[in-house]
Amino acid sequence: MNDYPQVLFKNRLPGETVTLRSYEKTGGYQGLRKALKMSPNEICELVKDSGLRGRGGAGFPTGIKWSFFPSKAPGEKYLVCNGDEMEPGTYKDRQLLRADPHQLIEGMVIASYALQATAGYIFLRYAYEECAQNVERAIAEAKAAGYLGENILGSGFALSLHVHRSAGRYILGEETALLNGLEGKRPNPRAKPPFPAQRGLFGKPTNVNNVETLANVSHIINHGPVWFQELALTIEGSGTKLFGLSGHLNRTTCFELPLGIPLREVVETYGGGIRQGRAFKACLPGGASTPYLTAEHLDLPMDFNPLEEVGSRIGTAGVTVFDETTCMVAVTRNLVQFFARESCGFCTPCRDGLPMVSWLLDKIEHGLGNHDDLCLLAKQVQNITGRSFCALAEGAMGPVESLLRLFEQELKDHIQKGQCPFL
Amino acid sequence: MVNLTIDGKQVTVSKTATIYDAAKEVGINIPVLCYAKKLLPYGACRFCLVQVEQMKGRLIPACTTPVSEGMVVTTTSEEIQKVRKTVMEFLLVNHVLDCPVCDKGGECDLQDLAYEFGSISNRFEGVKFDLPTDEINPLIERNMNRCVLCGRCVRVCDEVVGYGSYSFINRGFETKIATAYDRGLNCEFCGQCVSLCPVGAILPRPFKFKARPWQIKEVDSVCGYCGNGCTVTLGVLDNKIETIRFNDEIGVNDGNLCIRGRFGYAYVNHQKRLTKPLVRKEGQLVEVEWDEALQVAAEGLSNAQNGQGVGILSGARLTNEEFFLLKNLAKTIGTDHLDHSGGECYKGVSEGLNETLGVKASTGTFPQLESCDVILAIRSDFWETHPVVGMVVNQAIRRNDAQLVVVADKRGKLTKLPRARTLLTKAGYELSILNAMSKVLLDEGLAQVDGLQNLDAFKAALSEYTPENVAQQTGVDADLLKDSARKLAGAKKSAILLAYGLPYTAQSKELAAAAANLALLAGIPGRAGSGLYLCGEKANSQGAIDLGVLPAGNGLGAQQMLTAAGEGKLDALYVIAEDPISSYPDRQMVEQAMDKVGFSVVQDLFLSATAEKADVVFPAASFAEKEGTFTNAERRIQRVRQGIKSPGEAKTDGAIISALANKLGNTLSFTGEAAIFAEIGKDVPAYAEFNYHEIGSQGVVWGGETLAPTRRNLVSVSAEQPASADYHLVTGSALYHSGTVSVHASGPLAVMPEAYVELGREDAAALGVNDGDLLKVAGNGVEIQLKAKVDNRLPKGLLFAPYHFGNAGLNKLYRGEAVVAVSVSK
Repeated sequence: MNDYPQVLFKNRLPGETVTLRSYEKTGGYQGLRKALKMSPNEICELVKDSGLRGRGGAGFPTGIKWSFFPSKAPGEKYLVCNGDEMEPGTYKDRQLLRADPHQLIEGMVIASYALQATAGYIFLRYAYEECAQNVERAIAEAKAAGYLGENILGSGFALSLHVHRSAGRYILGEETALLNGLEGKRPNPRAKPPFPAQRGLFGKPTNVNNVETLANVSHIINHGPVWFQELALTIEGSGTKLFGLSGHLNRTTCFELPLGIPLREVVETYGGGIRQGRAFKACLPGGASTPYLTAEHLDLPMDFNPLEEVGSRIGTAGVTVFDETTCMVAVTRNLVQFFARESCGFCTPCRDGLPMVSWLLDKIEHGLGNHDDLCLLAKQVQNITGRSFCALAEGAMGPVESLLRLFEQELKDHIQKGQCPFL
Repeated sequence: MVNLTIDGKQVTVSKTATIYDAAKEVGINIPVLCYAKKLLPYGACRFCLVQVEQMKGRLIPACTTPVSEGMVVTTTSEEIQKVRKTVMEFLLVNHVLDCPVCDKGGECDLQDLAYEFGSISNRFEGVKFDLPTDEINPLIERNMNRCVLCGRCVRVCDEVVGYGSYSFINRGFETKIATAYDRGLNCEFCGQCVSLCPVGAILPRPFKFKARPWQIKEVDSVCGYCGNGCTVTLGVLDNKIETIRFNDEIGVNDGNLCIRGRFGYAYVNHQKRLTKPLVRKEGQLVEVEWDEALQVAAEGLSNAQNGQGVGILSGARLTNEEFFLLKNLAKTIGTDHLDHSGGECYKGVSEGLNETLGVKASTGTFPQLESCDVILAIRSDFWETHPVVGMVVNQAIRRNDAQLVVVADKRGKLTKLPRARTLLTKAGYELSILNAMSKVLLDEGLAQVDGLQNLDAFKAALSEYTPENVAQQTGVDADLLKDSARKLAGAKKSAILLAYGLPYTAQSKELAAAAANLALLAGIPGRAGSGLYLCGEKANSQGAIDLGVLPAGNGLGAQQMLTAAGEGKLDALYVIAEDPISSYPDRQMVEQAMDKVGFSVVQDLFLSATAEKADVVFPAASFAEKEGTFTNAERRIQRVRQGIKSPGEAKTDGAIISALANKLGNTLSFTGEAAIFAEIGKDVPAYAEFNYHEIGSQGVVWGGETLAPTRRNLVSVSAEQPASADYHLVTGSALYHSGTVSVHASGPLAVMPEAYVELGREDAAALGVNDGDLLKVAGNGVEIQLKAKVDNRLPKGLLFAPYHFGNAGLNKLYRGEAVVAVSVSK
């Protein structure tokens, strides 16, 4: 039913995990063979040319991130795969690791070679036990086949990969908090500078990439940057994207679709339209920390730049859709409660500011709010956005800011009616 | 250097500076709460947000952001003030405002910030916490309701102290700072967390409800305990030290203190302090007037000098000026029998270093330690004897990735530091390991041998000390030993640390010479940034050596004096600031000396075991009651300042010595410490360049930051073989005490109240001993009983007992050996 070219999901079969043999049959580990004949720098340049942007939410260009890495520095260097997928509404990495874990392994070996990393860690969310076992099995298979370990494919390059099961907290998705967690410390984010590339895991240069980002690498090597760019429907975009659909849709599964696909097509064609024939009201386009889109945005191409232009972000492309019967104040309150709970408590605006926003939304949702509370809510968004230590609090303000911007009338209705109008 | 503009002012600072540092440089104060000078950048409180022209769109934390060329920074604007006000409001959501009953009131950072931003109200009906206060221990109280979660306590305990008592627990709004399992605080009680807490969440219990900060008079002085020479700021109210105040602006210690410095001041206020001179009449010590006591002492001493002579034994806690007067007194009496600190332990400096390097002091300074790449510590006890230098070592490791190598017979705090490498040796074999390391450097051609005297003889003498031989003898891995030697030689900057003191008497000269040999081969002495550190146990151990409080000519040293007195060959002993019966090795010998000697004078703070046997007892003043200078273990001369008046009629050692000299006919008089200090310069050339009044807050270091050796002479030394036995006992210092004075201080006593013998779990199991059981320890024909302390620090067959508690009688067993062969039973 998916007419678009499948890259990451090309081997995906319901209920099955691709083994090494079938992965190799469809061109698996050819990218690695090719890469090992190139120089590390050539790989970095190729990835830079491909326009691959980080798939974990922030969308930082991967090749540029790699080019900051001191790959020539002596001593240990690490590549860490961030698989702490805890963004509400996001489940793409789980789908990927369920279906085809070797893509990650291959991507990590190539990336490690490009960065000259000496070891790799795959940091997985605590609930992803099935994925952890898949990855561990894939590591064992790859090792037996000579794709991992000492002297990989006779190239002289060596790499060991390790799976780490997270203790499980949202903050662990923040890369420096993740590094603390990996070291067995409390996962508070670290001050930057020094950046992980300078002083990361165990004080050594470290590069952190998302699962989906790394999975793309072997395909880029195999087919070249131009092919990768052309996968996207927008001119400036490149590659496909795993869209995890959820919410009030008829079909809530994960699809691999080209970047730049219109939101309407995602919702109507792939999501199968809104449940019970109701109307589309809004969606979170890329996880709980991305500002809402409304019906007026339905024709927007789902890519990094177009969404930023309307004040939102593509994030992880975990699209959560709300139908016309949904109270957006209640939705936002629910989200902020989550973020307030998951704040690590390190910096003041996040630790003490998020509960305030949560209390304000609670008050308004229960019809106890007044006009001052609305002003205060708007002010607190300003006071928290850009003031916190890491991106958690800023992300938490995404839905709140867009609630104020897009659903002002709905907020006012709560105040005027003295109760939630959707009750 | 980097140029930037802050609020229109041009600043040039080092490229490692942060915006906050740069602003401070030009007198612009950016408000902070979680920032602390000595800790790594943190950036949690968000008070210090500023605008940077080049980073538009968001506010930048000044305390974590490094400066860059051409940066244009604005530190206050309407927007910034609004943000800071909000942060204030956020913090006050759950902060109790119990300022009227909070000891921090008046010097609370949160109070000050609230005052600055004019707000204590907030628009949120927040939840105030109602957490129980932790007051299980007697020294540190924690009230987490007042906590602002700046994390300074967590960080200082980890980054500086290396203990790691605290951590954040829970998440979000419920986040709080807790100890392991959220139980009561049970740590080494150095009180660094008290020093750094910006609010009233962590407070010193002994100071609770004693005074408001502004009622306290602050006097900057030097701690009277160890040779570290930490600046302590006495908090004085009504002629009483009520607390030690935090001050990180002056001194070598950066505001860091250990439990002794922070909570060990209470002995000064102790009610058992001597307040009046005592003279023995009809067998009893009775209180008399000063004049009478001085008269009796003068007559007794001059009669003795006319007989078989007078011996003078001093402690190393007198000021340099007092040592000068004491030497003068010895001249007046006409005796050459003058010595200090038991006469043996300091010979590593006075003889060991002198013969090898031609200097009698450490060659580097403590601040340089932090940038060393490789640090070799001899004995794990170095942290216990000099805790604040230990903290510098910790920072060298954590910040600059220094490699620490510890040659030790037991584990300890040093060996637990990150990446610390422990060469765990059988007790008493440290010297062999140093010799073997020297041999490795010579054999592998890594040694810097240019200009070294005596090289061939030295090489020949080392022939038996192959790493393999020594490994077999000591149990240390030969490869580890070799690699450690290579690391030491390969480092750009390196340091060797060795502490000395009364419990480390055996082979002190030889051990120091072995360390100096190794240092010479590794090119350490005289190289900028590197150093060989021999650190004295007492506050002015180095001063005693600099001023030469040593036997002159044919004069007897401490041990000979005591032996002579015991044999009836010396007629008087004058003991100052020392309790030899409690602390010197071989108590029987000391007791016999005190019993047999015809006349004795003791001058001390308390009626010590030694004083009880004296004919005259002078009440002396503590460090807090006098002016003068101490020279610390890195040659830093610092001003000691009087904070309080002495209790009763107690006088300073200097005043007593002068008065006694006058009674004996010496008419020399000096008007004040400055005059004496100037006079010292005539005898001690290294001191001549300094003016007493110009000794600033960082003190002055004689011989410069890096003391150049005047000689490079290798001295062959060989190790004594410790007697073989099933159990060996070693003594030493415990972290909580220093000498025998701290056993009068309630702070250290609260944590370590009595003597004990420590043994490993394996031995404890074999003996069927549990923590706290009484153990009989017998050796040298004497049996004593000590409480057992069981832990995993000691290898099988080794016992450790700290030497501070005279009443335990440890020195009946310990006669100055490196290791005492003992038997142990329940």
